[in-house]
Amino acid sequence: MREEEVEKLRGVVRDCVTKHLYSSAIFFADKVAAFTRDPADVYMQAQALFLGRHYRRAFHLLNASKIVLRDLRFRYLAAKCLEELNEWDQCLLMLGDAKVDEHGNVYDTKETNAMYLDKDGEDREINISSAICFLRGKAYEALENRSQARQWYKAAVKADPLCYEALECLINNHMLSSEEEASLLSSLHFGPEDEWLSSFYSCLIKKYDKENVVEAKFKELENESYSSNPSEQSFMRTLKNDTDLMACKAEYYHQCGEYQKCFELTSILLEKDPFHMKCTLVHLTAATELGHSNELYLMACNLVKDYPQKALSWFAVGCYYYCIKKYDQSRRYFSKATNLDGTFPPAWIGYGNAYAAQDEGDQAMSAYRTAARLFPGCHLPTLYIGMEYMRTHSFKLAEQFFMQAKTICPSDPLVYNELGVVSYHMKEYNKAVQWFEKTLAHISSSLSEMWEPTVVNLAHSYRKLKMYNEAILNYEKALALSTRSVCTYAGIAYTYHLQVFGYFFL
Amino acid sequence: MGSKEICRNELRIAVRQLSDRCLYSASKWAAEQLVGIELDPVKFTPSNTRFQRGSSSIHRRFRNNEITSTPIAGVSYVSTPVMEEDDIVDGDFYLLAKSYFDCREYRRAAHVLRDQSGKKAVFLQCYALYLAGEKRKDEENIELEGPLGKSDAVNKELVSLERELSMLRKNGSIDPFGLYLYGLVLKEKGNEHLARNLLVESVNSYPWNWSAWSELQSLCTTIDILHSLPLNNHWMKDFFLAGAYQELRMHNESLAKYEYLQGTFSFSNYIQAQIAKVQYSLREFEQVEVIFEELLRNDPYRVEDMDMYSNVLYAKECFSALSYLAHRVFMTDKYRPESCCIIGNYYSLKGQHEKSVMYFRRALKLNKNCLSAWTLMGHEYIEMNNTPAAVDAYRRAVDINPCEFRAWYGLGQAYEMMGMPFYALHYFRKSVFLQPSDSRLWIAMAKCYENDQLHMLEEAIKCYRKAANSNDREAIALHQLAKLHRKLGRLEEAAFYYKKDLERMEAEERDGPNMVEALLFLATHCKDQKRFEEAEVYCTRLLDYTGPEKETAKSLLRGMRIAQSGFPSMSAEHFPP
Repeated sequence: MREEEVEKLRGVVRDCVTKHLYSSAIFFADKVAAFTRDPADVYMQAQALFLGRHYRRAFHLLNASKIVLRDLRFRYLAAKCLEELNEWDQCLLMLGDAKVDEHGNVYDTKETNAMYLDKDGEDREINISSAICFLRGKAYEALENRSQARQWYKAAVKADPLCYEALECLINNHMLSSEEEASLLSSLHFGPEDEWLSSFYSCLIKKYDKENVVEAKFKELENESYSSNPSEQSFMRTLKNDTDLMACKAEYYHQCGEYQKCFELTSILLEKDPFHMKCTLVHLTAATELGHSNELYLMACNLVKDYPQKALSWFAVGCYYYCIKKYDQSRRYFSKATNLDGTFPPAWIGYGNAYAAQDEGDQAMSAYRTAARLFPGCHLPTLYIGMEYMRTHSFKLAEQFFMQAKTICPSDPLVYNELGVVSYHMKEYNKAVQWFEKTLAHISSSLSEMWEPTVVNLAHSYRKLKMYNEAILNYEKALALSTRSVCTYAGIAYTYHLQVFGYFFL
Repeated sequence: MGSKEICRNELRIAVRQLSDRCLYSASKWAAEQLVGIELDPVKFTPSNTRFQRGSSSIHRRFRNNEITSTPIAGVSYVSTPVMEEDDIVDGDFYLLAKSYFDCREYRRAAHVLRDQSGKKAVFLQCYALYLAGEKRKDEENIELEGPLGKSDAVNKELVSLERELSMLRKNGSIDPFGLYLYGLVLKEKGNEHLARNLLVESVNSYPWNWSAWSELQSLCTTIDILHSLPLNNHWMKDFFLAGAYQELRMHNESLAKYEYLQGTFSFSNYIQAQIAKVQYSLREFEQVEVIFEELLRNDPYRVEDMDMYSNVLYAKECFSALSYLAHRVFMTDKYRPESCCIIGNYYSLKGQHEKSVMYFRRALKLNKNCLSAWTLMGHEYIEMNNTPAAVDAYRRAVDINPCEFRAWYGLGQAYEMMGMPFYALHYFRKSVFLQPSDSRLWIAMAKCYENDQLHMLEEAIKCYRKAANSNDREAIALHQLAKLHRKLGRLEEAAFYYKKDLERMEAEERDGPNMVEALLFLATHCKDQKRFEEAEVYCTRLLDYTGPEKETAKSLLRGMRIAQSGFPSMSAEHFPP
């Protein structure tokens, strides 16, 4: 067969692959490889086999041709086959030795990975070593070696910032604390044309910043525009309506406690893209907070119908039962979700919350502890453990856990509020005042009803410190946020009482 | 585009005029159609059209100054007199009266207008009196309710209203709205012929009053009456005809009309709902579901017609969707007859029939003439084996609308349960007459013929044949036909139907005892007919099944082999040397 005919046949194989006719692709790739014995053609054949789900065969082909160890790409493909076959140790072995340090810097023992763009500069590809790092991370995660997994994911993102999957894994599984996330992001080297990606990533990571900072970030991204003709406004294309970005925004609203806003946004999004997983999750949690049980019911039914194997579906069922206060059933479904996917953080926390709602502190705490172990970057489990301890009046222990949560996420106001409460209970009113002041300083949006308890707490602390004027000032502030609070009125009255008659009791 | 612009201008003015005369539902209807007209893409920027479809909010803004731009006299091709507004003299009193009317103080409103002579004022006075009478009638209905919710309260204003309106008409000082009211009064009094004439007169001179059209529609009980109406041509007539065809069960004609109207009113929720209704009558449940899903997306707080959607969901046993719908309407407005019907359906699907009946009862409390509630309640009573109550409910349904074939069918069912097959047959016949294309009705009738009391198998066969010809979804008819023919010893016919049934089951990939029965019969039959090859095919297929049939098939096969191999000897036996 002549060279051009072979070339034509290669074209056929590529076309078959894009049209998902894998058997034909395998057939022709086999012929091409038989003719030429060119390693590149063998690679193509292996690729076709991989896509046709003949993993063992592809692996055998790569292994038998003895070229596996020579080229990084071959090795990677072979490792991918092993990944699909769930042979994680073999997979790691195939990828070769390499060391990674805490910051995700790779020390390769043999090779130098200096191939950032190894094709002609036009179409960009993802750095192969980044893909390898990511696969290593996945393998370690499957082997339950989470610290190694985390480091390799970091290495993957570092090797090529375009490796979004690795970043997604890090974020979704709460592997990093917010500080670590920020430092990782700042250490990435973005190309000059990827400035937008940098700001996009900064929106993805945990969002406990001040409202205006976050808003500015979103604004910046939304204004990031593509326009063929900058003078005409109507032809501007922006990322403003991108689902991922909007989902991020919804997540931010959720974090701020603006559940109604969040719910509206996710409703619009889900109308556009009804199977967007992240958005669905945010939507579910917001609906649970708002008590929209009907919405939850329909969503749960549909999810279970469409994705019975996803943890998210059963999490939705759990949310529904949690929402209608049937905690036993809700627990059953949360635990089903965790059984399907042990690394699904919301289900663990929901499981704990469902126990906590029935005052079953021990079980709740064990669920939280699992969550804390699995998701070291998420401060909520530790925070909840602390709350459980507080409920049982173990203030010292509670404080310890709150401090731990504070180190994981130093910007969540809720942590400071809890610390304040603990200090108040331990009669350290000065400290309590400090913590409460700090809470109010960390609130990202303007003061809302959600933070009314903190203001009341602060007032109580001032009262205990006999700073009556400050106390009354804060009580009144609380009343402005919520006028129907009995205990605030009682607090004011009591403070006035103390102000007048306090001297008699001294 | 021109015609759209004309419709829009006409409707805009009509909405004002109708709501000025407190004809609320007509004005609501007109306004709905107004926003249902497709916008001219040239005139409106995308930001305006974005509210049209696929968006939950339907705030649409229009520029008001356009109303005056087209003179009203030129817009319509009916000789429409320009509605001249009444003199300013009684204007203040009219305003007061209208305010009273809006607060539902009808008599007070009428009293304010007692000495006014303008056409508008006279109409509102009469209308207020009419509504006052209606209100009293409803109250009496509740107060004097008999044990079955029946009472014979009448609107006491009708007599004086008729006298007044007829006098006005003689004077020639009556406007189209007055004519509409006159028609309404006459209809209530049972003078249908005159009522029709008056309503025709009303809509010919003022076609945008949908209430008048729908009254007229309810008076058109046959096609001949419909065709004999001297109606002027106007686009509103198409709406009327579509609705009338639908009532007269000319579904395809109605569908065609609505689709034609959609060309202009492409965003009209009303038309969509009506199309869904027609499709429902044609039993195209999938389509109905799609339409309603879209409607609900565009108009999430809609309750009208939603009970039909719930019927579809009930029939398809979409439990989660029905539950969602029920909760939703419950939050929107739980005291609407439609909402109650939906919740009733929901409980019925859950198997809680008592609760379901309670909600249907509530629907009937809210609207005594809620047809579907009566019928559905009858179904519930049938489920609960309470035949007398079911019969009563069904009877009320057919009293309201004698064309309700479901209720007639229900009556038949109830009487069949009570062991009165002749009564049952009578009612089944009625329902079949009204809906001859529904196979379920024919099958029910055939079963009735077939049962032990009557045992009229020939008639049963006729019915089954009808059912088989009219799109029998559950495919009962063919099987029954085959069975009956076999019973009557007509083996050829039986074989024919068994074969047909078999083909159908193959096409639909169904399996089951019917399949085995058909195969077994065909195998034996072919063997008896000495078509051994065919018989063998059936027998081999039978071998795939377990049970005694397999053994029978084996022995049949064996018998055939022997017969075939021993054929010469057998023939030798027949023809001994």
